[in-house]
Amino acid sequence: MAVKAAVKPASGNVVRVSGCTASALAAKYADVDVVTAYPIRPYTAIMMTLAQMIANGELDAEYIHADGEHAQLSAALGAGSAGARAFTGSSGVGITFAYELYSFISGARIPIHMAVADRTLDPPGDFGSEHTDALCTRDMGWLMGWASTPQEVFDKTLMAYRMGEDHRVLLPQMVCQDGYFVSHISGEVELPDQAQVREFLPPYRLPYALDPKLPVSHGAQIMPEQGPPLQLSRARAMEEAVPVMREVTDTFGEVFGRHYPHFIEEYRLDDAEIAFFIQGAHAVTARGVVDRLRDQGVKIGMARLLWFRPFPTEDAQKALGHLRAVGTVETNLGLGGATSGGVLSLDLAAALYPLRERPLLTSFMAGMGGEAVPSNEFHWMAKKLQRVASEGRIEKMAHWVGFEE
Amino acid sequence: MATEVERQILPLFEIEDRSRWYNPDLPETDPFVPGHRTCAGCGPAIEYRLHLKAAEDHSIAIGPTGCMYVANSSYMCTPYSIPWAHTPIASGGSFTSGVAAGYEAMIRKGKYQGKYPNIICMSGDGSASDIGLGSVSGMLYRNHDALLICYDNEQYANTGIQTSPTSPYGAMTTFTPPGPKIPEGKKLWPKEVAKMMAEGHPWCYVATTTVGYPIDLMNKTRRGLNFRGAAFMQVYAPCQKGFVYQTPLTIELGKMVVECGLFPVWEYDPETRSYDYLIPEQQHLVIEYLKLQGRFGHLSGEHIAKIQASANRKWEMIGADVPADFRAAEDPGYYVSRGIDKAGAAATEKAKAW
Repeated sequence: MAVKAAVKPASGNVVRVSGCTASALAAKYADVDVVTAYPIRPYTAIMMTLAQMIANGELDAEYIHADGEHAQLSAALGAGSAGARAFTGSSGVGITFAYELYSFISGARIPIHMAVADRTLDPPGDFGSEHTDALCTRDMGWLMGWASTPQEVFDKTLMAYRMGEDHRVLLPQMVCQDGYFVSHISGEVELPDQAQVREFLPPYRLPYALDPKLPVSHGAQIMPEQGPPLQLSRARAMEEAVPVMREVTDTFGEVFGRHYPHFIEEYRLDDAEIAFFIQGAHAVTARGVVDRLRDQGVKIGMARLLWFRPFPTEDAQKALGHLRAVGTVETNLGLGGATSGGVLSLDLAAALYPLRERPLLTSFMAGMGGEAVPSNEFHWMAKKLQRVASEGRIEKMAHWVGFEE
Repeated sequence: MATEVERQILPLFEIEDRSRWYNPDLPETDPFVPGHRTCAGCGPAIEYRLHLKAAEDHSIAIGPTGCMYVANSSYMCTPYSIPWAHTPIASGGSFTSGVAAGYEAMIRKGKYQGKYPNIICMSGDGSASDIGLGSVSGMLYRNHDALLICYDNEQYANTGIQTSPTSPYGAMTTFTPPGPKIPEGKKLWPKEVAKMMAEGHPWCYVATTTVGYPIDLMNKTRRGLNFRGAAFMQVYAPCQKGFVYQTPLTIELGKMVVECGLFPVWEYDPETRSYDYLIPEQQHLVIEYLKLQGRFGHLSGEHIAKIQASANRKWEMIGADVPADFRAAEDPGYYVSRGIDKAGAAATEKAKAW
């Protein structure tokens, strides 16, 4: 059975596609050379779409059926090291099966791309979206961010390639989308001309590719005393990625006419007293709840994180420093952490701590296991935040939404 | 629009009427240059040099973690004059697949100007037969144009001599130490890795050889590289540190292991789907091989008899005659009657020191 690429024309060069198809389309526009695949729901649809594109002759690339995610990422690393543009991806336990490779790839400074559609980690088997899968690789040196619509998946994939391949950065990138909420729901995606993409995304040029014409060695063994400068250079690359990511986001806006905030979408935050801090698909619901509460006179806003790594400390301080209370909406499990909740709030707390005036922070465990986070839950969270603001103290560091009064 | 991928074909070396030690027509190039930290008499280092000499300069070498990674690239210095990359220990086959696929695509799409390189991955036996077995099988299954070599020193040597799936029965390793309860040390029989690869991926070129047959080793390297598709070689390469033998005997052991019937040398032809076995001119009892190595110094007659029986089955498999004396040596009594209760007293002493 042939898989239809599922590109339904809407109007002009706008198509209506799922997040998975949007990711595959971006890989095609990026003219990737090697695709490495292994099936796991829900990201599989990205690889199915690419396989069909190759079969149809729409994309010229080698397609590797890897024998597992560890092999999948290893093959992508090999291709990237050889100087070819590589594309891979995974979901859930597939991401954790490949864990050895995350530090390896960023340490080797090979800027491959990985598309993630989130899935809850086992046990038990659960197809639903939870960000824990990708987030457990968060400190491994990858640029990492969440898209909340298919259009953003498409745009972010192209941006990520350019950010990661920039010679000031040279780091791998992970563009994540919530499983099902984005990966399997259609949205309008405006497709560019290939010429625009060529203008925006120059050909992949690794300065130290494995090429017999210019021999180099990758990954020679070191002694502990040689470790610090290597780790420092990777940390610096992550820091230096911040201005590059701003630059690339601006250039993207100029070329394609879609202007994204650099790191944080500030939604009705200017005169706000309380706000949600959130990433991923549920931000769409949160935005609607903010609008409704604003109609009722509640001074609430929302900060949506577009890139979690590198963490935009400065942007978070600017966006949230003036508020009275901020509630992080966690869609991830950080078992035994400082808040007994998730991991997003840990970074936010550290980012805001140096401020003399800073908001009170709490967090909400919502959408766990991939359950939807409906409006009434956001209303419940907003009430909690209002109380924090009015009482001037938090009730607890992490609320489990749906389990409390 | 696609550019045709131009591949390299290297000529074979003459094997008849020549000295084993002086080979004037070998290529001058030495992509594995001196200046590494391997042990004196290191089998895999000798092997690596021969493979890369055979492959010549338009090549890429890939090295999963193992002693050929750690000892060759210490202090950020490597002995390679060609591109080389380290990979995780389980990624030999998969990383190599990526490099091969990358070159196929780049050359076809006009993004790389030049011939397709010889792509060689040197995995240790732990990497190729244990933790990275699936990754090797994946590369052979997908038939990438590359050569994966298992340099078989029959143990995890880099980590300090632990048993691997190719360690022989009776070998002393730090994970199979002999003791009163387990007098033979290792109780399991080794995986036949190359057979597994040939039988399971019959479209691939597969061969075995040892460092005792340098021209054969280089020719098989070239046949594997010239072959349009995936190739696999398993090469016996002694480890002085783990086998515990006199350093100058590395090449000798490479011969003895074949002449004692313990490591059949063969070539599998994917066209005819048949094996070509080397039947050595001389045959010896396995004890002649065992007594040279401290790792077997603890074995007694009953264990040696079992090893002789396994060698005899291999002689039968390759179609060699099994001398009557060899059959008699399958019986533990054979050793008792000759007063041999140990594989070798000298070896035992050495093993104690180690």
